[in-house]
Amino acid sequence: MKRRDFIRDVAAAGLALRFGQGPLAGQTPAPAGLPLLAAVEGESPAAITREAIAMLGGMKKFIGRGDKVVIKPNIGWDRTPEMAACTNPEVVKALVELVLDAGAKKAVVIDNTTNQAKRCYVRSGIQEAVKQAGGDMLFVDDYRVKKTALKGVWIKEWEVVLDVVEADKLINVPIAKHHSLCRLTLGMKNWLGATGGARNQFHQELDKAVVDLAAFFKPQLTVLDAYRILVRNGPQGGRVSDTELVKTVVAGTDPVAVDAMGATFFKVTPRELPYLGFARERGLGEFELEKVRLEKKKI
Amino acid sequence: MKRKKSRKHRVLELLRIASQTAFFGLFLFLLLGAHYTGEDYIGSTVQRFFHFDPFLALITIVSARLVYAYFAFALITVVATILFGRVFCGWVCPLGAVHQFSSFVLKKTKFLKPPREERASLAWKYYILIIVLAGALFGLDLAGYLDPFSFLTRSFSVAVLPSLAHALSSLNGVFYGLGATGLARSISQALENWTINVTFVQGFSVGLLFLGAVALNARKERFWCRYLCPTGALLGLLSRWNLFKLRIDEEKCIKCGLCTQHCETQAQPYPNEKWKSGECVYCQNCASICPTGAIRFPFSGRPEKVTNVSNVDLSRRKLILTTLLGIVAVPFFRLTPSHKRASLKLIRPPGALPEDKFLAKCVKCGQCMRACPTGGLQPVLTEAGPEGIYTPMLVPKVGYCEYYCSLCTQVCPTGAIKKLTIEEKNKLKIGTAWVNKSRCIPYVLGKPCIVCEEHCPVSPKAIKWIEVETKLPDGTVAVQKAPVIDIELCTGCGICENKCPVMDDPAIFVTSVGETRSAKNRLLLDITKETAADPYK
Repeated sequence: MKRRDFIRDVAAAGLALRFGQGPLAGQTPAPAGLPLLAAVEGESPAAITREAIAMLGGMKKFIGRGDKVVIKPNIGWDRTPEMAACTNPEVVKALVELVLDAGAKKAVVIDNTTNQAKRCYVRSGIQEAVKQAGGDMLFVDDYRVKKTALKGVWIKEWEVVLDVVEADKLINVPIAKHHSLCRLTLGMKNWLGATGGARNQFHQELDKAVVDLAAFFKPQLTVLDAYRILVRNGPQGGRVSDTELVKTVVAGTDPVAVDAMGATFFKVTPRELPYLGFARERGLGEFELEKVRLEKKKI
Repeated sequence: MKRKKSRKHRVLELLRIASQTAFFGLFLFLLLGAHYTGEDYIGSTVQRFFHFDPFLALITIVSARLVYAYFAFALITVVATILFGRVFCGWVCPLGAVHQFSSFVLKKTKFLKPPREERASLAWKYYILIIVLAGALFGLDLAGYLDPFSFLTRSFSVAVLPSLAHALSSLNGVFYGLGATGLARSISQALENWTINVTFVQGFSVGLLFLGAVALNARKERFWCRYLCPTGALLGLLSRWNLFKLRIDEEKCIKCGLCTQHCETQAQPYPNEKWKSGECVYCQNCASICPTGAIRFPFSGRPEKVTNVSNVDLSRRKLILTTLLGIVAVPFFRLTPSHKRASLKLIRPPGALPEDKFLAKCVKCGQCMRACPTGGLQPVLTEAGPEGIYTPMLVPKVGYCEYYCSLCTQVCPTGAIKKLTIEEKNKLKIGTAWVNKSRCIPYVLGKPCIVCEEHCPVSPKAIKWIEVETKLPDGTVAVQKAPVIDIELCTGCGICENKCPVMDDPAIFVTSVGETRSAKNRLLLDITKETAADPYK
């Protein structure tokens, strides 16, 4: 081999590695034996989160070395953790630690909040938790919200937060809450926080919008925080008496199944939530929990 | 004789520039600090500057008929002025620094060519002082329009910082385009961290007045300080007794007139007997520029003759006339209907005193607008009558009142907005929300929405939903959840109006009726029974 050819080949290989579809890209299918859904109950939000991820095969199964990972909790409201309006900060912290331990280059936590972003980040306790875990907290930047083709059935294009779209890997970390329009806000509805624009209009077709967004964002992992759930005055509550302790975290690769499991905490059957039906039709997952490989544990 | 400039006065001049820079920097730092820092209570920010202002202290105390303890700091300024002259204007005042710096630039760029001697009357600022003081006797607080701290804070809060932030974020688009993502990101994160709002209804008029005031320096150096500033006028009157008076060494003086030509404030150092203690701000320009170092400020206990305080003939006849003018002007300000019936859009910040007391204390500095995290607090133009121009009001279409925030109440320099804890604030009502059923989406279009209900921050929610039947154009009937308001629970925060998807004229809106601070602005017979006790009684 001539030297010139060698250099050319090396350069081409380098480019292919840099920009091409690597052999490791995409989601690895769960090997037989491992559950698709893990629900862990326990006293410590961090411990049950770690256990649920371990039951799914560990974070390394989802996160590759050098990945830029975006973790999307619900930080929509200026509320303390005991109001159960935002994801439990300890759950988020555990995930940031797991992601970084798994070799991720960066763990970015972001949400397009409803109240002033900084207030939500601070009062939810998530900013401090993420800082301690070594992750990065990012405010949504107007210039990083771009109208994008969602290719949805109902919503063709919408403003989305580019930092979320451009992530190598995506973890959705919603909290289970009451919602007066779509009854419950769980994992799929959490993607409204990755959109911008006149997103209040989504309420006019909320079930359909939720499914189109869930089909667009496609997380590697959904981790539903049901440690303390909001049972009334949702989705922001305001009193501790609006919440109930369930002390459970549900993790899974099937976003529809995670939401279906979440609904059971409110004594709502998955069939009562129209968006779960739409989501199954779209092939996003399964809401009949009998058909899902589900593993429960108490620690 | 050997010509030699005074090195000592050159050093003093440089010190003066350093002092002005430091105070302006401090002012800016404190003003930027007036935002949600991550702590609910942010302590003292830029309002401390106001407490050192004897003019504001005098007018506020007289018009509100209340001695406000923080204004004790103004005594420091008074004593300093009596002892050392108007050093406050020359060395401390941040607006003075802005004017002096822009005068300097305009002079260097030859936009401004100071004449050999300036004879224009300096009377206006004294008249302004007297008119404002006369008004204050009748509870009319006009201090804020021309007080240097109010003017500067308002201009920066409502116009200068917002336009800078606007320019920076536009520049961010360019940075992202060029691939400088890191830089662009740090700028956007910083703007979010400092909470600089960029939408202000009166931003243009406030900004134009500020630019106008700066542009006037092209006519005369420190135009504002010479002719307009009532604080300067008050300090000028006090400076008569000061201990350091300008003296020209007649033996050294070559009568070049440079000192008088370059005097920033028309204090006329030469000839010596014409020097005006009430106008001199001790900027050291004259002593530093003097080619023979003939100018000094030696210690002298002898008070200045009244005629030497300014070139103004502050005779008794004129003083009485201006005072009368000020008094005669008061009724004109009282002709507006806002004294009879509350204005519906005039939603005052939580903690605002009852309207008459509020107007007697508010100095229109706009700090509450700077601190407001959502940018909802906006300068009023017409809603509060002529004395209420640039006072704050909540415009929910722009921004709403954050539930866990009482920042506006913490930064008010005069207590026009009473300091409140978040718990106290959340017991107050600043207005009441109403549904416009002829525009509300479920009511009129039969589609789901209730975004307002979702955002209502009180628990239990003040916005509830009911099922309503809507006849659609094709004759069918839609049944949807539609909002209704429990006005006893509603605090008037305005988040419902702010988040309503009906963009131009929100289908849910807040008006001032039912506000806790007013005993008159009410609608129901016993609504007061259920709302929290009035903290101002």
